[in-house]
Amino acid sequence: MKFEPYQTAEIPGPLKAIPVERPQTVAGIIRNAKRPIVIMGSKTFDVVPEKTLRDIIQISKQVGAEIVVTGGINKKFEEIGIKEFKSMPAMELADRLRDPEWKGFDGKGNYDLAIFVGFRYYYGWLILSGLKHFSPEGFKTLSIEPYYQPHATFSLYNMKIDAWSNYISLIKESLKEKR
Amino acid sequence: MTFKIGELKTDIATLKNLEISLGRVEEEWEEPLGPTPMPSITSLRRWDYKLLQRYKPFYLPFCDLCCLCTFGKCDLTKGKKGACGIKMDAQQSRIVLLACCIGAATHTGHAREIVEFLVERFGRDLPLDLGDQVDLEAPNIRLVTGIKPRTVGDLEDVLDYVEEQIAHLLASTHTGQEGDPIDFESKVFHAGMLDHVAMEVADIAQIAAFNFPKGDPNARLAQLGLGIVDINKPVILVIGHNVIPSIYIVDYLNETGLKDEVEVCGLCCTAHDITRYNDRAKIIGPISWELRFIRTGVPDVIVVDEQCIRTDVLDEAAKIHAPLIAASEKACRGLPDRTYDPVEEIVEDLVSGRQKGALILDMDKVGEVATKVAIRLAPERKKFKALPSTEEVIEEAKRCLQCGFCQKACPNSLPIPEAMAMAKEGDLSKLAELYDYCIACGRCESACPSKLNIITMMVKSSEKKVKNEIFKVRVGRGPILDTEIRDVGRSIVLGEIPGIIAFVGCANYADGGTELVEMAEEFLKRKYIVVASGCAAMTIGMYKNDEGKTLYELYPGNFDAGCLVNVGSCVSNPHISGAAIKIANIFAKRPLRANYMEIADYVLNRVGAVGIAWGAMSQKAASIASGFWRLGVPVIVGPHGAKYRRMLLGRKEKRENWYVYDARTGKKVYVGPVPEHLFYAAETKEEAMIMAAKLCMRANDTTKGRAIKLTHYIDLYKRFYGKMPDDIHLFVRRLADIPITMKDEILAELEKKGWKETEIPDPTLIEELVRVKEE
Repeated sequence: MKFEPYQTAEIPGPLKAIPVERPQTVAGIIRNAKRPIVIMGSKTFDVVPEKTLRDIIQISKQVGAEIVVTGGINKKFEEIGIKEFKSMPAMELADRLRDPEWKGFDGKGNYDLAIFVGFRYYYGWLILSGLKHFSPEGFKTLSIEPYYQPHATFSLYNMKIDAWSNYISLIKESLKEKR
Repeated sequence: MTFKIGELKTDIATLKNLEISLGRVEEEWEEPLGPTPMPSITSLRRWDYKLLQRYKPFYLPFCDLCCLCTFGKCDLTKGKKGACGIKMDAQQSRIVLLACCIGAATHTGHAREIVEFLVERFGRDLPLDLGDQVDLEAPNIRLVTGIKPRTVGDLEDVLDYVEEQIAHLLASTHTGQEGDPIDFESKVFHAGMLDHVAMEVADIAQIAAFNFPKGDPNARLAQLGLGIVDINKPVILVIGHNVIPSIYIVDYLNETGLKDEVEVCGLCCTAHDITRYNDRAKIIGPISWELRFIRTGVPDVIVVDEQCIRTDVLDEAAKIHAPLIAASEKACRGLPDRTYDPVEEIVEDLVSGRQKGALILDMDKVGEVATKVAIRLAPERKKFKALPSTEEVIEEAKRCLQCGFCQKACPNSLPIPEAMAMAKEGDLSKLAELYDYCIACGRCESACPSKLNIITMMVKSSEKKVKNEIFKVRVGRGPILDTEIRDVGRSIVLGEIPGIIAFVGCANYADGGTELVEMAEEFLKRKYIVVASGCAAMTIGMYKNDEGKTLYELYPGNFDAGCLVNVGSCVSNPHISGAAIKIANIFAKRPLRANYMEIADYVLNRVGAVGIAWGAMSQKAASIASGFWRLGVPVIVGPHGAKYRRMLLGRKEKRENWYVYDARTGKKVYVGPVPEHLFYAAETKEEAMIMAAKLCMRANDTTKGRAIKLTHYIDLYKRFYGKMPDDIHLFVRRLADIPITMKDEILAELEKKGWKETEIPDPTLIEELVRVKEE
């Protein structure tokens, strides 16, 4: 059940996300990326406890990843004192991520690792599928949602929110240790 | 009739030795024939390619495989080819085409059934009279086919053409046929255009034959909601989209003097259309209300026609001991055909329970049987309690295993286990709360190992709310009047009315229907023209303000700024595309007849219209949307709409994609990303509202019009996102475009981006429409 799609009928395959059991492995994936980007969807504030949200922001700072929010959660970010982020509708962003010519938010070129969290399951599922099939060579996706997202390149597994919060925290710690 | 034309010169092309056969139509239309009468599946390919060059498909595959032939299954992952050579992008567009063919065929079949029925009952010469303020009665039909239909019989020729084209489109999806994604997409557009023609056939035929409102802005208000039914009377529930069986029920009640004795209420578009016919009929709600209403046990007999009816409706009807009458060849439901049996025998079999239902294809008989069964069964059935007591709900909740299968099966991942945990402690509030977000599909029940009747439990927990579901919706008024187009055409084309927002489609909402009401109200307050149809038009009526009024009671029904128009059912959608076409023809005097490309070019560049299909679910919704795309009208869907598998997205930063010809000079002019996308799935209602305001901008906007449109876009953006949008420089062409009240802020933004003034052309994408070529 750990590595089954969270929604019953969303049967994936043949190419499914590599499941990542250890937070340290996730930290390694993030650390090895040259240009990671963190994408936070419209459900972020419904799903992610504030402590975990701050951990994710810390992780992106640790590796110099830009944060992009989608679906109009900008205001909520600012309300909790987070100012450094970009915003773009999710479909527009996904459309650009598949384009090797896109220059990114900083004009330095496209990204090589897109980290997703805070999306409706099926909406994230479809965007990750689009990127799985149509993104440039070398581009990877990582789902750090509290469930298995089979169309990502790498995904966490189905877990309860407390366990997930702890997992995210351990990613942060692991990145700190290896700096 | 056959046309023979030696040479035909139009703005688009010069045609020589043209011979066109238009079937049985007695043609007396003086407007010259345009370049594309009854276009084939490639006649408008050039136009489609122009659109698809700007709005590129972004595919979101549902599945890594193709399973359509015995070569397969084939793995199409990451560029792999299938056994036939197909790749993933073509496969996805092929599936989209299949969906649109299903949608277009469904409306075409519906239209054919209506036309055949009317020809048989009233003859081919029944005039298509849409009232004295609608001379342009069939804008889509005239534009696409070149036929100006005068009678119901004329519509047979139109349908002959549509059916032939759908057959060609379907053929192109066969293994080893079309293989290019963009050509598939062009065919998707063709299917959509045909769909609007077919829907228009169905609606103008039924308006003329059954005397539905003929564009009346003051069409009366009908009752809407679960709480409107008089449960002391026998209740006939009609479900579906083809109104003919329902009309025969109402006629039978009128003829037998029983109209005050029996309730007739409906679900989905049949409900819309029966209220256009009869002032006593009532609307329960959109498709998502089907399971809920049946589970209340209120209907004494259920009559189904076609489309969007639960395929398990026979089982659901049996659970509440209500017989089912199927009245369409397309959905026989496994029932015995009783069409030729005596009425009394059928009634006896249904009342006694010997048969759970009957297929009856004689409409007179449907009316009589449904009425007699309802009257006979009602006294006994009123004693039957379909909903459990509160105590029974609590006991039921105690059987919940907290396995979570329901939540994993739920399309909206609703926290049903949490609601059950509270319910077993006697607190039903969470179950009642979920009612507002549940689309009542019943997948949770199918997944439940304890076989809990979760929908029924939710309905019971919301009983008070259900009884208060008493709303009003303006009856579908049908066409937009020619006089209304003359009144508002100029303001729309110049951009002074900020846009037309059309709320269309089904009720598969990700976060409840209230979102749709909020969006409609926002645009009404901002003086957009708000138009609605189908399930969306019902949902908009399902909310009351503090004074107990719905939006239909608060806003007039005219096609004008700040007004709310319900055109009617699904097949009324061509009155929306038709309004855009009418603006090009009646206001701007562009030739209409068989002149698709020029009219679509006009709409794309001048008519600020956007569709929002917030709960789009069906294949019909897909084909309706694709008809809008080809005409140059963008469509936004809700989150579930991403499951249509592909978006059509513009890239605003790619300047080379946003050039048009200036028809006055022939010069290529940059106009900015207007409209930015053709098909787009938003994550939230806020994102959808901002996007809709943005997509209303058009290349032809005057400076005053652009300033008004920018005001709404920026205002919405700031309200929801708390800052200025970062792309304003792409939409400001001249300093005069800048809204006065935001001048300083915008100038600061423009300065940061190094903005420079650009020209405002007479825009067109079609070279032949250039009047004077630049030397």
